[in-house]
Amino acid sequence: MKENKREIVVVAGIRTPLGKMGGALADLSAVDLGMATMRELLVRSRLTRDDVDAVIVGNVIQPVEATNIARVIALQAGVPRAVPAHTVHRNCASGMQAITDAAEKIQLGRADVVLAGGVESMTHAPLLFHDQFRKKMAILQRARDIPSRLKAAWGVAQAPWKPRISLMEGLTDPVVNMGMGQTAEVLAREFAISRKEQDEWSLQSHQRAAESWDSGWYDEEVMHVFAGSSFAPVHMDEGVRAEQSMKALKRLRPAFEKPLGTVTAGNSSQITDGAAMLLISHREKAEAEGWPMLGYIHDWAYSGCDPERMGMGPVHACHHVLSTSGLQMKDIARLEINEAFAAQVLSNLKAMGSKQFAKKAWGEDEAIGAPDSDKLNVHGGAIAMGHPVGMTGARLILTLLRQLKRETGGGLGLASLCIGGGQGGATLVGSEPWQ
Amino acid sequence: MAVKSVLQLKRKKDRAILSFSRSDKPVNVLDEECMLALEGYLDELEASPPDVLVLQSELAGSFIAGADIHAIAAVEGAEKGAQLAQRGQAVCLRIERLSSVSIAVVQGVCLGGGLELAMACDYIIAVAADKTRMGLPEIKIGIHPGFGGCVRLPQKVGWVVATQMILSGSTVDAKRAKRIGLADMLCHEEQLEQAIEQLITKGKKVISIKPKWFALWPARQIFFMLAERKLRARFKDLDMEQTYPALMGALNALRTISGLSSDAAYAWEAESIGRLAVTPTCKHLIRVFFLGEALKHQDAVKKGKASAAKLQHTSVYGAGVMGSGIAWVAAKDGTVDLHDVSAGALSHGLQSASKFAKRDRQRGGKRLQRIRPSLDSSGLSSSDVVIEAIVEEIEVKKSLWVDAEAQVSRQALLLSNTSSLSLSEQQSDLKYPGRLAGLHFFNPAPKMPLVEIIAGKKTTKKTLQTVAALAVRWGKFPVIVADRPGFLVNRCLMPFMTAALGLLEKGQSAQHIDGILKNFGMPMGAIELADRVGLDICLHVGEHLSGALTGNEQFAMPNWFAKMVSDGLLGEKSGSGFYIYNKGKCQGANEALDAYLSSDASSVGHGNAVQEKEFDANMKEDAFVMGGQEVIDVCLIPMLLESLRCLEEGVLDSAEYLDAALVYGIGFPPFRGGLLCYFASRERSELRQSIADLGFDLPVNLEVLDAFA
Repeated sequence: MKENKREIVVVAGIRTPLGKMGGALADLSAVDLGMATMRELLVRSRLTRDDVDAVIVGNVIQPVEATNIARVIALQAGVPRAVPAHTVHRNCASGMQAITDAAEKIQLGRADVVLAGGVESMTHAPLLFHDQFRKKMAILQRARDIPSRLKAAWGVAQAPWKPRISLMEGLTDPVVNMGMGQTAEVLAREFAISRKEQDEWSLQSHQRAAESWDSGWYDEEVMHVFAGSSFAPVHMDEGVRAEQSMKALKRLRPAFEKPLGTVTAGNSSQITDGAAMLLISHREKAEAEGWPMLGYIHDWAYSGCDPERMGMGPVHACHHVLSTSGLQMKDIARLEINEAFAAQVLSNLKAMGSKQFAKKAWGEDEAIGAPDSDKLNVHGGAIAMGHPVGMTGARLILTLLRQLKRETGGGLGLASLCIGGGQGGATLVGSEPWQ
Repeated sequence: MAVKSVLQLKRKKDRAILSFSRSDKPVNVLDEECMLALEGYLDELEASPPDVLVLQSELAGSFIAGADIHAIAAVEGAEKGAQLAQRGQAVCLRIERLSSVSIAVVQGVCLGGGLELAMACDYIIAVAADKTRMGLPEIKIGIHPGFGGCVRLPQKVGWVVATQMILSGSTVDAKRAKRIGLADMLCHEEQLEQAIEQLITKGKKVISIKPKWFALWPARQIFFMLAERKLRARFKDLDMEQTYPALMGALNALRTISGLSSDAAYAWEAESIGRLAVTPTCKHLIRVFFLGEALKHQDAVKKGKASAAKLQHTSVYGAGVMGSGIAWVAAKDGTVDLHDVSAGALSHGLQSASKFAKRDRQRGGKRLQRIRPSLDSSGLSSSDVVIEAIVEEIEVKKSLWVDAEAQVSRQALLLSNTSSLSLSEQQSDLKYPGRLAGLHFFNPAPKMPLVEIIAGKKTTKKTLQTVAALAVRWGKFPVIVADRPGFLVNRCLMPFMTAALGLLEKGQSAQHIDGILKNFGMPMGAIELADRVGLDICLHVGEHLSGALTGNEQFAMPNWFAKMVSDGLLGEKSGSGFYIYNKGKCQGANEALDAYLSSDASSVGHGNAVQEKEFDANMKEDAFVMGGQEVIDVCLIPMLLESLRCLEEGVLDSAEYLDAALVYGIGFPPFRGGLLCYFASRERSELRQSIADLGFDLPVNLEVLDAFA
C-alpha cells in the first residue's frame, strides 16, 4: 500500500501555550495566534518562505472578520503572496485534517512542502443575535417612509435581544440535539464509567502535564507568546494545575446532567485558545535539501459513528488505521487520544479491549486491544492543558512525534480524537520510514 | 543636452492645460524661472481665456514642492519679503479671476506655494497615490503661507482645520484632503478624465465662510484666544516672540485676516511675510533645513542607496529602551527580530514599542506586528542587518559578534549602537570585520532624527555607505564620525552636563538652571537630562571619557555625583535623581539633593548659602541666583570648546554637519541655527573674554566661527 507513494515527513512544528478562555491569550485573535505561530515556525526551520507550496489551516470558530483564516494568517506571517492557502473544518479534528490534507496533496505530487496546522480562539467565539432580530433589522433597513420606519423600529424593539452564545451552540450537535457533554454522559452510563474513575483520570492528566512542564519537556515544543496590551510573556499551558486533587475534583457538580450526571468541568477538556503549525514535506525532498525530520506520517483515517456517541470515534478510526496497515495495538509505542472528556477516553479504552464491541462493530472476533496507561497521553492531555477545538489535532501529532523521537527510541505512534457530529480521526506516525 | 523645460501650455479646443514639467530638478519648484513662465502664460490665457484650465504636473510623484526656499533665505529687508509674497499672490489671483473653470490635478507632493497655487483654482482633484501629500509647511522655516494660503485654506477647509494645519505645518494625504474639503474630488489616475468632466459641469466655485459661526466676531476672537493659549502652553518655557515669531505671526495673521475683505487680507499677509522673512529665526530654520537635506543627500548616502534598498530583515539584540526603539525604527519598512535573553525585558521592550505604535493609528499596528520577539538567536541566519544595543562591555559585545557571525550570511551587516566603545576593537575577533560599523542612535530612537555612523579601522567603505543610506531609508539624518571616544554628540554633551553640575555646587537650584536652558530653547535642562539618561550611565560615560581623553577634566563627574549613584539615585528609572519622578513624569526637585551637595566639604560658598537660608529665605534667592546669560555661557561654552576640539581632531570634517548633528541629536534649538552658528553671532572679543573668565584656554581654531558669520 505504501510502496508507490511519497513518504510524508514532518520537518518541524511548534505550538503556542494554551490559554484559558478569557485568560492569558484572550487579547489575541485566532489570526494573531496563527500568525505568531506560523512566523515562528518559518523562522526556526531551515526552510525559507519560498519553499512553501501551500498553506492549510484547520479552524472551527471561523472569525467573520477573517474569512478563510488560513490566507489571512499566511499573508501576515510573511508567506509569499503567490502561495495559496485554504481553511479546513472537521470540528475537533480540523487541525489533524489540515495535516492529512497536506499529506494527500504531497502524495499526489501536487505540492512538495505544505504549511499545515490548526488555530482556535474560543475566547473570541462571537455572541449572535436571534434570527428574529435579524429579520426585524432587515425590515427596518428596507423601510423608507417615517411611519413604516417607526413600525419597523418597534418590531426591532420587540424582537429577542438576548444574545445567543455561539460557543454553546457550536458544542451542540444539531442532528441529535445533544451537547457534547451529554454525549459523554451517554458513554459513561453505557460503559459504566464512575465519577471516581473519571476524576482519577483527570488528576493523572494534570499530574502528567505538570510534571512534563517541570522537567522542561514542553520547552522545545511550545513557543513564547507575548500577549495582550502589556505583552506579558506566556510560555506555560495555563490550565495545568500541579496542585489538582481528588478532593477538589470531587467537589465539582455535574455540568451537563444535573443532579446525577458524572461529567464535570473538572473531568472535561478545558475551553482554550491556541495554535499549532507544522511543516509537511516528503522524504525525497527533505533529504535532498538536507532538512531535519521530526518524523513520518504513515497513514490516517476518519470514520463515522453514532452522533449520540461521538466519543466512540477514536475506537473506530484507530481500528481503521490499524487494520489497513496490518498492525496491532501492541505495535504502537505511544498513543495520544484526545481527552475531550475523561468518560470518553475511558470508554474508548474499554471498547478497545472488548471482544463484544469488536464483534458488534466490525464483526471481528478479536478486540483491537487497549493500550497500556504508560503509553497513552503520557505528557497529559486536554483535561489539563485544554482543547482549542480546531488546533488540537495538530498538537497531538506534534507532541507524539517528539515522544517517538526523544523518549521511545523510535517506533510507531497513533494520534486520535473524537469529533463532534459522530466521527473519529486517527493518524499513524513514526520516527522512521515505513518498513 | 536636452532643452530645459519648466512649464508648458497646451490648448485643446476649449481646454487649456498648464503642465509643470521641470527637467533640471527632481521636483517642480516655484522659482524665478517658473514664475516668469507662469506669468507669461497667464498673459496669454487672459487674452483668450479657455473654458477650462487644468493645472497638472508631468513629474511623477510631485505636483509642486513649493516656493523657492533659497529666494526666501536671500531676502534682506521686509520690503523685499513682502514683494516676494505679493508676486505669488498676484499669480494666484490671476488664476482665480480667469473666467475659465480652473482645476488643479494634484498627484504627488503639493506643498507650500504649490498648494496655494492649486487652491487658487476653482477645484482640486486629489489623485489617490501614496505620494500625494498636501499641506502648508511654511511654519517649519519660520514664516507662514504667503501666496494667499492664509486666505484660501480657511475657505477650503474651514478656519478650525486651517489654523491647525498652518500652525503645525502638517500635511494630509489624498483621502484626508477630500475628507476635510481641501480636495473637491478624490479619484484614481485612470478616472482623471471623468473627474475633470464632472467638475466642469459644476461651473465656477462660490465661496462661503466655513464654519458658519466664524462670521460672528466674538466667536472668532474666542477661538483665536484659545488657539493662542494652547500654543503658549506648548512652548511655555520660551519667549515666543523672540524664538518662534512665525507661530505668533501666523496666528495674528489669521486672526486679522479673518475679519478683512480679501484684498486687504492679501496685503496684510504679504506685509506679515515681509516682517517674518527677515527674522533670524527664519534664516536659521532655513539653514537647519538645508543642513538636514545635505545630510540626507550626502555622497555616502547616494552611493549606498542601491545596496541599502536590498536590506529587508533586521535583528536587534537587547530589548531595552534603545533596543526596542531601534526595533521600532527598523520595522518602518522591514521585518525585525527583537532578541533578549529575558522574557521580562522583551515584554517591556514590546510595551515601549507599542507606545509608538499607538501614535500612528493607520500603520502602527501593522508595524508593531513586524517585530518578532525572540528569546534565542533564531532568525539570525536570514538577517540582513544585526544591530546590538546590549550592555556596554567590550567583551560581551565581542562575544556577541563572534556568535552572530557564525550564523549570519556572509553579507549581513553588523552594527553596534555603542555610545562609547571602540569599533576597531569590536572588529578584532571577526572573520569578516569589514561589515562591522557603529550606528549610534539617540534616545528615544524613534524620535531623535540623528544617527552617528562610525567606521572601525577595518570597516569597508561600502559598509559605511550602505549604513548611511539605510539610516536615511529609516528616516534618520546620518553623520559619519571618527572612532574616537564618545564620538561626537555625547562628547560635546558631557561637558555641558558637568558644567551644569558645577552650577549646582555653586548653589544654583536645578530648576533655575534647567529653566534658563529651556528658555534658551534646549528641549530639556542639563540636570533633567542627566536624570533621564540615568545617573549611572552619565557616571560611566564620564569616567570612560575622562579616562580615554586624557588631560580633559571636563568629563570627570564630581564625587557627590558618584555617591548619588551608589545610593541608588539613578534618575527617572529609579524614581528619583535630581528630581522626583512618578511614571516618567517629573514631580519637582528632590529634597535629598542638598545632603549630597553639602557633603562635599570643599564647597565653602555653599555652606554660606545654607546658613543664609536660615536667616532669610528670600534674600538667598536674590543673592545667589545667577543671571540667564551667565548660566548659558557656563553650560554652553564648554560644549563649544569640546566641539571645536572635535573639529580639530577630525572627529568629523564639516563644521556645518556638526551644527546639524547637535540640532538633530540633542535638540539644540534649531531657531538658533546650531551651536557654532549661535556663538558665531556673538561679539568675538566678548566671547574670548567669556571663555577666559571661565578659566578655559582659547581654542586654537576659534576662527572656524568666522565661516558662519
